[in-house]
Amino acid sequence: MDKHLPDDLPGQSRLLKTWLMLMALTLFSMWSAQLSDESRALSLPIWSVALVLLSVGFKVQQILMVYLNLRVSSAGWRGGFLCLLAVTILLVGLGYWSAKG
Amino acid sequence: MWVLILSEMLVFSAFFILFAWQRAQEPALFNASQQLLDPVAGGLNTMVLLTSGLGAALAVQAIAAGNSRRCRQWLTLTMVLGLVFCVIKIIEYADKLGAGLTPETNTFFSYYYLLTAFHLAHVVFGLGLLALATWHNSRENVETVTAFWHMVDLIWVMLYPLLYLLR
Repeated sequence: MDKHLPDDLPGQSRLLKTWLMLMALTLFSMWSAQLSDESRALSLPIWSVALVLLSVGFKVQQILMVYLNLRVSSAGWRGGFLCLLAVTILLVGLGYWSAKG
Repeated sequence: MWVLILSEMLVFSAFFILFAWQRAQEPALFNASQQLLDPVAGGLNTMVLLTSGLGAALAVQAIAAGNSRRCRQWLTLTMVLGLVFCVIKIIEYADKLGAGLTPETNTFFSYYYLLTAFHLAHVVFGLGLLALATWHNSRENVETVTAFWHMVDLIWVMLYPLLYLLR
């Protein structure tokens, strides 16, 4: 199918690789969040919170760039979306960090 | 479409930040309440929605290649997975409400119901749009509707860890 695409849409293999990565990162986030019954009663260590948030940030970036094809949009739109994502992840992370202080 | 997507992301981002800072005021309450949610059901729903996103992206590819029939098939798969997401969410709601956990139980559950119901409303609206795009599947319609669907997808990707994983 890739050969017949008329413009700069992501190819089928790229879409499938992105999907596999998103699924793997979802499982990685669940693992990082330590979901056993004993662990769930405790707060996560800050490195674990950071791993989950980094994984989320990367997943959202991949959805924006590949699924939404933001990579072919203007630098202004790309910058706007990525800035909003970075600020959100940072402020959420600070919220969790401050709860541990 | 980018304006709509950015606006929606801004609204949800504000809620996510508010949630994280509200949690910082009452971490014990939020942690104890979070234990009453099922992170596996949430993870399953994340995977269902991510897979529906793949279907939506493949529908755009198909219509760009001029294959209208294949596009309809991918859009139908996307809608079926969207419906699966709704069913899992409704089962979760029924379970929580049956256990007496309502939006008035505490601050955590107010946020849980507010954020997930607001997101679910977007999913239902997106399903309606996908149905319209399946019927009138011009390239412009399919691209616009699937962009909305990916936005719904990425909001859940951020919502899931906040409500179910981070503590």
